[in-house]
Amino acid sequence: MTVTAPLPAARPRALTFGNVWLSLALLAVMLLYPFVFGKALNFGVSTLVFAGLAMSWNILGGWAGQLSLGHAAFVGVGAYTMTLLATPERVPAFLGGPVAPWWGALIGMGLAVLLAAVWGALTFRLRGSYFVLSSIAVALVLRLVAINEEFTGGSEGLFMPELPTLFGLDLFDRRVEYGLALAFVALTLLVTHLLRRSRLGYALQAVREDEDGARALGIDPARMKLVAFMLSAALTALGGSLYAVYLQAFEPHTLLELPVSVQIALMAIIGGRASIQGPVIGALLLATFGEVFRTVFASANLLIYGVLILAVTLFAPNGVLGLFRRGGRKLGTAR
Amino acid sequence: MDQAAVTALLQTLAQGLLTGGLYALIGTGLSLIFGVMRVINFAHGDFLAIGMFITLALFRAFNLDPYLSLLVAAPVGFALGFVIQRFVLARLGDRLSEGSMLATLGIGLIVSNTLLLTFGAQPQNINVPYATNTFQLGGVQVSIPLLIAGLGTALAIAGLNLLLYRTELGRAIRATAQNPLGAELQGVKTTNIQAIVFGLGVAFAAIAGVLLMPLLYAFPTVGENYTTKAFIVTVLGGLGNLPGAIAGGLVLGVVESLGAFYISNNYRDAYGLVAFLLVLLLRPEGLFGRTVKRV
Repeated sequence: MTVTAPLPAARPRALTFGNVWLSLALLAVMLLYPFVFGKALNFGVSTLVFAGLAMSWNILGGWAGQLSLGHAAFVGVGAYTMTLLATPERVPAFLGGPVAPWWGALIGMGLAVLLAAVWGALTFRLRGSYFVLSSIAVALVLRLVAINEEFTGGSEGLFMPELPTLFGLDLFDRRVEYGLALAFVALTLLVTHLLRRSRLGYALQAVREDEDGARALGIDPARMKLVAFMLSAALTALGGSLYAVYLQAFEPHTLLELPVSVQIALMAIIGGRASIQGPVIGALLLATFGEVFRTVFASANLLIYGVLILAVTLFAPNGVLGLFRRGGRKLGTAR
Repeated sequence: MDQAAVTALLQTLAQGLLTGGLYALIGTGLSLIFGVMRVINFAHGDFLAIGMFITLALFRAFNLDPYLSLLVAAPVGFALGFVIQRFVLARLGDRLSEGSMLATLGIGLIVSNTLLLTFGAQPQNINVPYATNTFQLGGVQVSIPLLIAGLGTALAIAGLNLLLYRTELGRAIRATAQNPLGAELQGVKTTNIQAIVFGLGVAFAAIAGVLLMPLLYAFPTVGENYTTKAFIVTVLGGLGNLPGAIAGGLVLGVVESLGAFYISNNYRDAYGLVAFLLVLLLRPEGLFGRTVKRV
């Protein structure tokens, strides 16, 4: 995209009080959740995993302003790599045996970075809608490979094998998974926060707002986008590995379809792109809505996603967080 | 090559060209919309699904011949597209292609999930006696519904061409595509033109849905696959390039057909995607277009 919807410009000053309170409130909710809703840990874990994925997406989609509708590709790379390497009968012979899930997750991140590097190097040369289109195609190609190849378990997918314990903790215990998911969200928050204050972060925002202007300042837009893409891919793959552990069994349809990519992107967009807490808020909102509407509309629960996208693009181009901020400042720049 | 191999090749090519014609019809609608508004319509396949379900519903209710449903599906598609552009996408104003892209994504989800609520997830087809009819042409079997679809496509595209190059409305559409502000200054109501163009694009998708119905099963998410096909066609031909979209459709049909026959049928959908990625990388202006601005 050469130009994007007007986004709240990052102000080069310390965290505002609003941000601090909001962050603390979010953190408190997340920390207390397992104690209050011990029975609904599944919801908690999946919501947190998706919040982390939305944060990871946001590095590219929000800060660099590149709409990706193919992040399911990286979720898939992370999930498949980790699971395949942990399954004794599927591990390539030269590795000598199953790989512990945390090492598998790291390898998955590496592969995702590699994929992003090649894909980004090729597509970021172009302007316009090409990146969006390519992102859909890459994820679809991976999906077809996952469905048709033997080593990926075909359309039946994979089962998670017995996993070694991590510091004596059982990875299939929902409370452990909740903790890991929370750590994942914390990591993505930390990376985003560091990014925002960094040279790279400012360069990305400059590229997002005005590519030609950024170039005039000596920034290489294609390179900046590429770095953001690789970072985003690595974190997304990590989230994918975690999601695989949570699911324990998955198939290409649950991981590599367009709706997965859309869901991730949507959480960040609805919450507020280019903001730190936006994706987390978006994930909480969408997951809750999704859960409620699943009971009302059954399989047509994505209907509410459609309505929400439309509502947000029409009335809150800067997301829910943008609405809050605008409320404070009275009609901002939008429109 | 012996006789049988030649026949098989011809058969594959014929199949590919006819399917490609349908892809061309879908891609033309998308390309038309992109050419005038610079919007990538993510709901395109879902509009095709609407065409299919209109045909299905009319057949179930009145035993209406599927091809007669065109008389309903095309105007309904046009009206739907007109309204969506006029009252939703136009309101996004200058907030550019990205906002519109997301909006169409939302519209697509609304359409497919509404179809799901109305018709259920079960794939459904209609039984018309000629659905499986074929005729022989020099040893090559041609499916009658596919041939009708090909003819329908040719007619629709010829009609669009007449509209664009022989009418005042066509001049206005072309002017709006080239330079909206300039067109506006010449007295063209560009908001109306854009709504008409979106309407035409959706009507094309709906027509394709009707033409496909005798050949395929309809299910609410059938559109997803065709949205992708439409993207591929459009990129192969060059974004916004109409003759390119037709050629792109035919190329996609043939590539898929040849790949499915000579390599592996399992990867039928992948050949188009790979061709798409290659064109995106090597010739982003499309196989038949002029250069695109590079970073």
